[in-house]
Amino acid sequence: MSNLLGIDIIGIDLGNPTSNSPQGNVILRMDKKYPIADYFPYLIVSDNIRSLDSKTDLFLIDPFQGKDTLKRKAKRGLGIEISIAPARKLDPLLVARWLKELKSIYIFCQSNDCQFILSSGANSINEMISARSFESILNIVGITPRIYWRKISEWLYAKTKARWQYVKS
Amino acid sequence: MLNHREKRRYVAIMYDENSIYRPFQLHEKIGIRFKELFGVFQMQSAMLKLYDSEFGNVMIVGCKLKYLDFFLVSLVLGEPSLIVLSISGTLKRLRKNVSKMGFRNIKNNRS
Repeated sequence: MSNLLGIDIIGIDLGNPTSNSPQGNVILRMDKKYPIADYFPYLIVSDNIRSLDSKTDLFLIDPFQGKDTLKRKAKRGLGIEISIAPARKLDPLLVARWLKELKSIYIFCQSNDCQFILSSGANSINEMISARSFESILNIVGITPRIYWRKISEWLYAKTKARWQYVKS
Repeated sequence: MLNHREKRRYVAIMYDENSIYRPFQLHEKIGIRFKELFGVFQMQSAMLKLYDSEFGNVMIVGCKLKYLDFFLVSLVLGEPSLIVLSISGTLKRLRKNVSKMGFRNIKNNRS
């Protein structure tokens, strides 16, 4: 499916840590480290500002929430993820505000050495979003897709590399 | 006056095979979302047109290249969720691309 969408690597939520056996080009998203993490690349994801610690790789943010608390807690290299799925249901005025907030979070990430990540937030195959569609959103907001993909690749590579080194040692 | 024809792009869109909407209804919904987000003028200028895909749950919509980003954003930020499978400058090439994908194997399983 990722080939159809033009995306090299996709992240999937770890629903059941014992029975899932991810295939190539898949990064597992988990709320804490499960035993399966010894065998597959993974990211620790949190959507609660209180549980945000040094082990958290990715923080899922609601663009309409204030960024003040995040400013205090965001560490260098933290991925800040915005999910597109909730924006589908918004009325046009709120979509426009959502897009504006997207840009402000991008600027926040740049100034705090965090990684801006736009994700589909898909719960099913039908909700997945192609790379070209991601680029359209980035273009509309005023973010250069080429730079976005390059930075996210570098960030992901650094994260995965760090994880694997940790696992090996 | 130059006989200049603006470039168009044809977008293959996969929809849920269990969807209650038919392609022409989805096309209408995309148009409404486009209008809501970018205005009536842009929507009319984009000249969205629905084409028969000749494949199962795939529809093709044509759009002026200049407004492609607007169109894709309207697709992504609207309901129901739709997947962009391929984009091409000609219908013939697009149909060829889609036929190569073997998309019929993709089931709408909940992940």
